[in-house]
Amino acid sequence: MLGKALLLSATLLLLHAACMTYDHVSHLKALVQPEAPVPLNTLYESILALVLGILGASMNSPALKDITWASEMKKRTIDDMDARSGLASYVSRGKLFHDQRGASRPT
Amino acid sequence: MSVHSALEELAKYRVQNRRASQEVFEKGTSVLQKNGHSKMGDEVWDFLEQLALAAIDVGRLDVADQCLRRLSDKFPQSPRVDCLAGIRLEASEPPETALKYYSELLEADPTNVAVWKRRISVLRRMGQTEEAISELSQYLDTFYTDIEGWLELADIYARCNQYDYSLQALSHTLLLAPQNPVYVLQSAETAYTAGDLPLSLKMFLMVVDMTDGDETEFLAESTPLGITVRAWYGVKLCARRMSENPRVVTASASDASPPKHLGLLDELATERLRVAYSSAGQKGDIAQGRGIVFSWVASP
Repeated sequence: MLGKALLLSATLLLLHAACMTYDHVSHLKALVQPEAPVPLNTLYESILALVLGILGASMNSPALKDITWASEMKKRTIDDMDARSGLASYVSRGKLFHDQRGASRPT
Repeated sequence: MSVHSALEELAKYRVQNRRASQEVFEKGTSVLQKNGHSKMGDEVWDFLEQLALAAIDVGRLDVADQCLRRLSDKFPQSPRVDCLAGIRLEASEPPETALKYYSELLEADPTNVAVWKRRISVLRRMGQTEEAISELSQYLDTFYTDIEGWLELADIYARCNQYDYSLQALSHTLLLAPQNPVYVLQSAETAYTAGDLPLSLKMFLMVVDMTDGDETEFLAESTPLGITVRAWYGVKLCARRMSENPRVVTASASDASPPKHLGLLDELATERLRVAYSSAGQKGDIAQGRGIVFSWVASP
């Protein structure tokens, strides 16, 4: 919540600083004056926007995921590791319990 | 269950190699009925193979036939589909027919690994254990890196109570997959059954090391979970038997060195098992059988 609010305020501040700079440059162009540096409060405003933006972005990031091998191994069960699907026997007594539509029942 | 979530679950089962045939069958048939397989693109063939195997396992050979027909229409002459057709044959014909079918396929293409493994599986199912072992050994001489094969060999030997040979097969598994704690646990338990207690104790402690490596918590505050509890049980059993019978401490078939602080290990295992089964470990989660565990670890 705070992260999103900071990010939003940083974006607004940056837009405002950009508008002020555009104003400044168009003002100089209208009066046909040589290039003068951007006024200081615009600079401070953009630096503040940068700081707030960094804070907001770091607070807004999603929770860290577990990437260690041990944590991945915790999610696997012994049956998964021992599955041996290439050598497994798929013949069981299941077909004696199930009603097979279209196939003959064992007598 | 929506088609999308069912397909996600089935994909997860494929990745984790989970068999769960009844669930796969139910989810898969619901996807087929809702016609979800038409929008899947290229993943539909993996899905059909998984569903066919689950249907054969559950006993619904009609659904398996449907999937198999679709797969063979799309991929004629494919070795993978031939192998699946062989499994379908195993389910309804006597095993000799299936063996003949596999031998024909192997004559046509001797490098067909999947068919060779099916042949070994049929031999084992028929009860011809010696042939199964010799074929499997030949297969593993040719294709050394097949972990499934080594695990199957270890299983066959263990079923015949030949735990030393089983341990040897498992040692190859450990070479091929050294970072997997489940195989170390299986080796530890096999070594315990074979009577090699110092080796077994070492391997149980290795499992604890591999699985309980929680850097953020100290050992005193963490709770053992999952196979770590099983490993602590193993440590407790080994320590108890070694303190009762000092002769087994030095009689190790693999020349494993005897443990130095047996009494301390015993106490540690007792404490860890108590923590694992007490409610202070997981919040509000009192394990069943807590009283039994506490009395067992306390008795000398």
